[in-house]
Amino acid sequence: MARPLLESGHRVVVMPMAVARWGEIRRQTADPGLLLTFLGTAAALGLFVLYPAFRVLVYPSLRDYLAIPESLRWIQAARNSLMMMVLSTISATVVGLVFAFATTRPDLPGRRMFRGLAMLPLFAPPFMVAFAYILMFGRQGLITRSLLGLQANIFGWHGLWLVQTIAFFPLAMLIIAGVLDAVNPSLEHAARNLGADEWTVLRSISLALARPGIAGAMLVVAISVLADFGNAVIIAGGFPLLATEAWFRMEGMGDLKGAALVVAMLLIPTVALFLLERFWVSRRVYTVVTGRGSRIERPSTPPVLKWGAVAICSLVSLLVLLVYLGVVAGAFTTVWGRDWSLTLEHWRLAADRIASLWSSVKIGALAGVITGTVSVVVAFLTSRHLPFRGVLDFLAVLPGALPGVFVGVGYVLAFNATPIGGTVWVLAAALAFWHLPMGYQAASARLKQIERSIEEAAVNLGATGLQVLRDVYLPLLVRALVEAFAVSFIRAVTNVSIVIFLIAPGQVVATFVILNMIQNNIWGAAAALTTMLLLLTFASIGVTWIAVGRTVRSPGVG
Amino acid sequence: MNRAHVSVQDITKRFGPTVAVDGVSLDVEEGSFTTLLGPSGCGKTTLLRMVAGFHHPDQGDIFLRGIRVTDIPAHRRNTAMVFQEYALFPHMTVGENVGYGLRLRRVSADEATRRVEQVLELVGLAGQQRKFPHQLSGGQQQRVALARALVVEPEVLLLDEPLSNLDAKLRVRVRSEIRQLQQQLGKTTLYVTHDQEEALAISDRIAVMNRGRILQLGTPLQIYHHPVDRFVADFVGLANFLEGEVSAPGQVRMEGVSLTVPDGALPGRRVTVVLRPEAIRLHARPPEEVANVLRGYVTAASFLGTLARYWVDAAGRHWIVDVPSPGEGLLSGEVYLEIPRDRIHLLTET
Repeated sequence: MARPLLESGHRVVVMPMAVARWGEIRRQTADPGLLLTFLGTAAALGLFVLYPAFRVLVYPSLRDYLAIPESLRWIQAARNSLMMMVLSTISATVVGLVFAFATTRPDLPGRRMFRGLAMLPLFAPPFMVAFAYILMFGRQGLITRSLLGLQANIFGWHGLWLVQTIAFFPLAMLIIAGVLDAVNPSLEHAARNLGADEWTVLRSISLALARPGIAGAMLVVAISVLADFGNAVIIAGGFPLLATEAWFRMEGMGDLKGAALVVAMLLIPTVALFLLERFWVSRRVYTVVTGRGSRIERPSTPPVLKWGAVAICSLVSLLVLLVYLGVVAGAFTTVWGRDWSLTLEHWRLAADRIASLWSSVKIGALAGVITGTVSVVVAFLTSRHLPFRGVLDFLAVLPGALPGVFVGVGYVLAFNATPIGGTVWVLAAALAFWHLPMGYQAASARLKQIERSIEEAAVNLGATGLQVLRDVYLPLLVRALVEAFAVSFIRAVTNVSIVIFLIAPGQVVATFVILNMIQNNIWGAAAALTTMLLLLTFASIGVTWIAVGRTVRSPGVG
Repeated sequence: MNRAHVSVQDITKRFGPTVAVDGVSLDVEEGSFTTLLGPSGCGKTTLLRMVAGFHHPDQGDIFLRGIRVTDIPAHRRNTAMVFQEYALFPHMTVGENVGYGLRLRRVSADEATRRVEQVLELVGLAGQQRKFPHQLSGGQQQRVALARALVVEPEVLLLDEPLSNLDAKLRVRVRSEIRQLQQQLGKTTLYVTHDQEEALAISDRIAVMNRGRILQLGTPLQIYHHPVDRFVADFVGLANFLEGEVSAPGQVRMEGVSLTVPDGALPGRRVTVVLRPEAIRLHARPPEEVANVLRGYVTAASFLGTLARYWVDAAGRHWIVDVPSPGEGLLSGEVYLEIPRDRIHLLTET
């Protein structure tokens, strides 16, 4: 008798909840403007996020999928990609951890400098580390050949490993430092007070609390390594990888089906890692961000650890500096490796291709506007108690799991046959929606900081839904909008993995031109154009910084 | 007809399986200051928010001056609210914050400027229009929130724990300022707090709430001296509770002691005697010719400035006794408790 009773009791509890939910939905959707925006946004996300992915997955037939194990080259590429993922993820996370540790200890000399230097690879175009290391450590390398007289070959998996470590450790550093920073110093003091020595505190408190952050960092780095196209295409040489294989299939053999198969294979591990990060690791973060800066200093760092960290950070910082120095030096050197005299000749050559830079800027601006607008709108919609807002949220973060080459192939399959196929609109849309997760998450976080009562105060004083949006949310979200625009713009201007698939004959964009130059050994002009791209990037960061500082008069108080 | 300014009739609000407000009715007279008092989760804020229109009641109705407003959306009710966290718009100046409601009401710019000036003067912030909220102290932000609510001349002023973010001293000062302002303007006010002292100090009437219901509605004096049940007596102020049985008219017998009490309860009934700590007198020697004297021992004493608090063991119980601040030293050892008959409040068990 107990069971039926329990079940009917359960139903009684559920009923009023369902009724209340429907009431809420009815009241919210009673606002026609909101409902239309919701439907329009959902349709846009469906078309530009879901549909291209869907096209990739259904393009090859089941038989094509089943034939994958028979292709030795693909198995080899998959195996290589997984090997690089393991190697580079471990090394980048270890370096990132050392940097994160070093930059969060107040008593570590030069910690601000290390943090600044470690951020540099994040702003570099995605092929730049590989390019610079060819200049530095390649057969004509400044260091390997001219200074050390070595016959080094950087092409291959070991070169790629070094490059990916330097390119992706900053990601790990940022994530781990965020968690380490959030560890309340009073916990460390409490442990000291209870009798733990410095080493024990570090092991049992600081690092133990940062464990979920380290796991999260590894997953994010792993996704980036798997999807890394720009470095791989330049330095991997004859070493087949999934990310580059898709490009070779399509460009070299016009084999669209093969390209779709390869990127579909690449999608499995990236989506798995992405889901793992989102639903498992991110829920295990112990540290609480209170937003209230703690004034207590952290306990001092054991000297061995302190100076060990300084040594490692110095070495890695040097390698980071070489990335920038190498490219800038390359832009002014007559013939790299043979004639070290200075010249401006490469800049003349680069200036001839300046049109490609302008079209990059145009596409980037377009992508930035789309990313910024969609980010803020989706963030606003998911903050309402709307039905299916979880779906909207998922579609807005999903692109984070998709490798650039996957998006590239997806947009080719989805839009090439349509009237807009081959236009800059497709390219801009691809870049815009691929960068949506960053803008969306930033806007969402910002919205969460705005207390619900601020909106209620406006309503209480007589504001309608639209007036609330205009008077309260838009002014408070301007910062998020500008930042989303800037991130999307910079990444669009420096992108290669999507651009390379979607660029139509006759079109030019800077990164595509540079890549061609590098592959044809026109290093000087490639370096000069890359330097211009860097200047553009840093100029946009500066402008954004000023713009955000001006438009937002107050920090997020209230 | 119901002549109340704000009238809440038989309101129920559920959130999922929990019943936040359970069939509450309340009338607020024009110009009165009514406080909803209760522990967190008792439904007081939910009730206030239903008056503002932020929640729609599942049952029951709300009337403003006899007009049913239950289905009128929040932005079209003239029920300005002061929020617990102030909810000032961080991107607007003080002047813009206070003038926002006027802007929405399409008040002309000149008149708006004048009224903002006036109300800021009223709350003691004259000339601060150009500052941003984050440049103000907590107390000043609080006043801006109050000014923003008052400037639109609301039907009723709603305040949701407006003082909880202020430090203790400021809290006392601002609460008397709010009360003065309310009396000066004659504004009908509904106030939510969990602080019983605040409620006693500020209100015309207090509604003590628990578990979604109003347990007692009355003046501060009624609530304090004649609580209807043990919860109210315990929540508002400190009390000694003694359970016993009425042995004869005006007599309650309990284990170890018998007390002379006010008449009223029928013999044989189980009753709870409620005694406020300050109602008990403490003597070093047995007082003469008085009833209800118990011999006890001081187990602890604490000097609180305006009074001294004693923990006394007497008649097999622990007693709390408050004595107006003594000029000389505190009592210790053997003492005598005198319990004046007319200070005893009886709760009849139901």
